[in-house]
Amino acid sequence: MSGATYRDTPIPGTLVFTGARSRQGYRINKFAMSLTEPANRDAFKADEAGYMRRFDMTDREIDLVRKRDWKGLVEAGGNIYVLIKVGGAVGENLLKMGAQMRGQSLDEFMNTRPGPQGIAVTRSR
Amino acid sequence: MARIVGGVGCSHAPSIAHSFDRGLQKDPLWAPLYDGFEPAKIWLDKLKPDLIVAVYNDHMNRFFFDAYPTFALGVADRHPQADEGWGKRDLPDLPGNAEFSWHLAQSLVEDEFDPTICQEMPVDHGVLSILPLLTDNRWPAPLVPLAANVIQHPLPTPKRFFHLGQAIRRAVESYPQDLRVLVVSTGGMSHQLHGERFGFMNPDWDNEFLDRLESDPQSLVALRHHDYMERGGAESVEMIMWLAMRSALGDKVRRVHRHYYAPLLTGYGLVVFEQADA
Repeated sequence: MSGATYRDTPIPGTLVFTGARSRQGYRINKFAMSLTEPANRDAFKADEAGYMRRFDMTDREIDLVRKRDWKGLVEAGGNIYVLIKVGGAVGENLLKMGAQMRGQSLDEFMNTRPGPQGIAVTRSR
Repeated sequence: MARIVGGVGCSHAPSIAHSFDRGLQKDPLWAPLYDGFEPAKIWLDKLKPDLIVAVYNDHMNRFFFDAYPTFALGVADRHPQADEGWGKRDLPDLPGNAEFSWHLAQSLVEDEFDPTICQEMPVDHGVLSILPLLTDNRWPAPLVPLAANVIQHPLPTPKRFFHLGQAIRRAVESYPQDLRVLVVSTGGMSHQLHGERFGFMNPDWDNEFLDRLESDPQSLVALRHHDYMERGGAESVEMIMWLAMRSALGDKVRRVHRHYYAPLLTGYGLVVFEQADA
């Protein structure tokens, strides 16, 4: 073991998706992944809790989805790249999900973005 | 003999695909991105490569954590588009080159890289978000997708990606047919998509990375995953994939074009290299 890969050194405001997190969030992530199938999206939208129980999700995990608590879902081991599939199914985009994770409204968050004033740099030979 | 004729590094993002599909090319928020791709598009149109080898990552659209490959190579003549959870885009299948891909598989394994070999390889925005910005013709050339794990730690090291690019070069140069090959790496740049640090961007670091990628890639090889995540946000660690494109081009490169724009969530970087001795 050379220590060349990431070991749990904390980074503020960050939950690195380690093997331990992937294991912890496996049920949530498996449910979220299933939403890449249109028929599954329909089944989920028709009966959210019933659909999630098929994945052996705990009551607490189901409740986090019911509350659209993205911050809580990440803390429970959810991976953001699959959670956005849940967001897509329930009509929330990544910007709104991210604002919630920061404890902000979408408007508050968007005011922190550089927008068209974002640094644009071109260097051609 | 096949040979490498150029390299492109660029950020991929669902937002790029979204802006393209909604026709926002002239929108004030998006125009700087599209304008920045224009010189690359003109260059590529003139270069007319026969084949693209793309190092990228899948975002749980082809692979899931039930069996997550560290490296996975698509070996097919056609790559369908993956449904990422909100329906497919109006794009035709991406052409591939199974014959070259099997050669690449053999050469990589002999070089002690052992990718999962995928005869079906639906591709996601890791490949598809940026290709329409690089050409007015669908598509610029057949593409060989080489996916890497940059999501579930432990990830391959930056050094591993540097060696991967060298192995891709050896594979290209041992292919008997005269193919002109473009190597593309996608990913990043600075962004974090979860937690309190959601929305973190670091344009200074992104531009330093672009400087060092060109003139001192070994200094980037020496950094740890932790360094990338701290400087650019956790999800920006995928920038390490750019090292494969850089090393495939050899020691010295000539920069054809470079552009950077960071308006929203991700530093959108673009760099076009040719081999200095070409």
